[in-house]
Amino acid sequence: MARPLWTGSLSFGLVNVPVALYSAVRDLDLHFHQLHEKDTARIDTRRFCEQEDKEIPLEEIGHAYDLDDGKTVIVTDEDLEAVAPRKTRTIDIEAFVDLAEIDPVYFDHPYFLAPTGDSEGPRRAYQLLVEAMRRSDGVALGRFVMRTKEYLVAIQVRDDRLALTTMRFADEIRSTSGIDTGGKKPSKQQLDQAVALVEALSTDWDPSAWKDCYRARLEDVIDRKRKGKRISAPKQEKEPAPAPDLMAALERSLAAAKGKSTAGSDGGGLAALSRDELYERAQKEDVPGRSSMSKDELVDALGS
Amino acid sequence: MPRKRSATKEDYPLAAPGYSALMPRSLWNGTISVGLINVPVKLYTAVESKTVHFREVHLEDEGKVQHRRFCSAEDKEVPYEEVVKGYEVSRGKYVVLDKDEIAAAAGDRAHALEVEAFVETDAIDPVFYEKTYYLGAGAKGGDAYRLLRDALERTGRAGLGRFTFHNREYLAAVRPLDGVLALHTMRFADEVVAGKDVEFDAPGRRPRDREVEMAGKLVSSLHEKWNPGKRKDEYRAAVLEMIERKAAGKKPKRTREKPPEEAPDLMAALEASLAGGK
Repeated sequence: MARPLWTGSLSFGLVNVPVALYSAVRDLDLHFHQLHEKDTARIDTRRFCEQEDKEIPLEEIGHAYDLDDGKTVIVTDEDLEAVAPRKTRTIDIEAFVDLAEIDPVYFDHPYFLAPTGDSEGPRRAYQLLVEAMRRSDGVALGRFVMRTKEYLVAIQVRDDRLALTTMRFADEIRSTSGIDTGGKKPSKQQLDQAVALVEALSTDWDPSAWKDCYRARLEDVIDRKRKGKRISAPKQEKEPAPAPDLMAALERSLAAAKGKSTAGSDGGGLAALSRDELYERAQKEDVPGRSSMSKDELVDALGS
Repeated sequence: MPRKRSATKEDYPLAAPGYSALMPRSLWNGTISVGLINVPVKLYTAVESKTVHFREVHLEDEGKVQHRRFCSAEDKEVPYEEVVKGYEVSRGKYVVLDKDEIAAAAGDRAHALEVEAFVETDAIDPVFYEKTYYLGAGAKGGDAYRLLRDALERTGRAGLGRFTFHNREYLAAVRPLDGVLALHTMRFADEVVAGKDVEFDAPGRRPRDREVEMAGKLVSSLHEKWNPGKRKDEYRAAVLEMIERKAAGKKPKRTREKPPEEAPDLMAALEASLAGGK
């Protein structure tokens, strides 16, 4: 298992459980490096003092904060240490709330907590929290400090583990009051039809059914470039225009959605597949020029 | 058009100069389509980090610090036009991709988000939500926006589809939030770590029923209604206060950590916690 990102103690009333923190997200993105075009050597970033036009070592660099009145305050590491939160090694559970009450907009990064140490006591205390929280449907709210920053966190039970998620503070969520929410109230008939359309297009949430096609395409592009093949940018799908008659569009969409669900997944042939599904097939059949093809072109290329 | 947001001075006591209280510009304009219903939308930031950021400064003369690009082979500064992106396929060996080649992977939905399916919002574990944005109605599609929002509110569902943003394709969930439509970029299943991958030994014996019951009581005694505004970023406030004191020529206040108390006996600790009303 990876090294923990943080270790400390989870405190619940007077019960303290030594815990380690692990990320609950893997970084599977393909990362690029900056290179110098002519010799493909890596680019280094060096810090220069603008005033002296001279490279400066890291230890001569400080933090500056610009105030409203144009004044600048230099903040040292000691200054920051002085205000570091008192409890840097504990997550204090302050309260429990219902998970359903917290909108996902508040959640930031997910982690797992695991008990540490070889002794029986902490592991049992961890298990106790898991069982007590599973029964209550509650989420624990607490605070903890990682790399000098203090985080508000929610702790819930996921996969029989304590899962910790860092949270946004309320003043970091923008108000929705300036957002344009559109035109006139739909008629009852329109809303009923729209609800029927949503229901006809509904499935169960199955996260594994959704693949990162971007990552697959990027791997494919890198692979083809490596083999010296030419790659060009895809033609962009046209942005669809709003339907002039909403009711007529609803009726036709509903008829099509119902037709699709009764005809089964192959009912519409290739045209019924998404571009990603088509692209995946094109990749298997090694269709030349696939990455620059639009959905219609992929249908044609695969159909021939 | 979004209206001006009236932020007051108290909201941003130490806001950086040039801070604008206007609604931000839209980040992306496009069309969400559900069947033949097309909804033109504008994408806005929903979350704005308030973490205090500093700029780098040369301590000697308070000069601004610049980051300059150097070629590691030639030890020479490189202008921006000569910088390319490379993917390392084996140690020191790179495949260079230009903008068009990266765009080839990004997808062809630069301005369209086709809803492929609707799912029950409550069924989505929050671990899958990555970033949140707000969607506002775009030009000439206000009625369709309102219809989609109302239909999603009534059904408790979210629409799932893909769209291209900042030269990469994302899976997105569109759902109603606080009277508007929100868009969450989503994590893929293989990016989310399963609990079983976090390994540790189970305790020799499970907690006793009595212990679970006591812990449950403690959980309920600490239960409250979720009130996001109740918990403030105290660390941010302390950093800003320190900066103010420093600007006024005063010394920063010091704080000290006190180690957590050890509680060897689980039951005794639970009882003491309950008795303490904590």
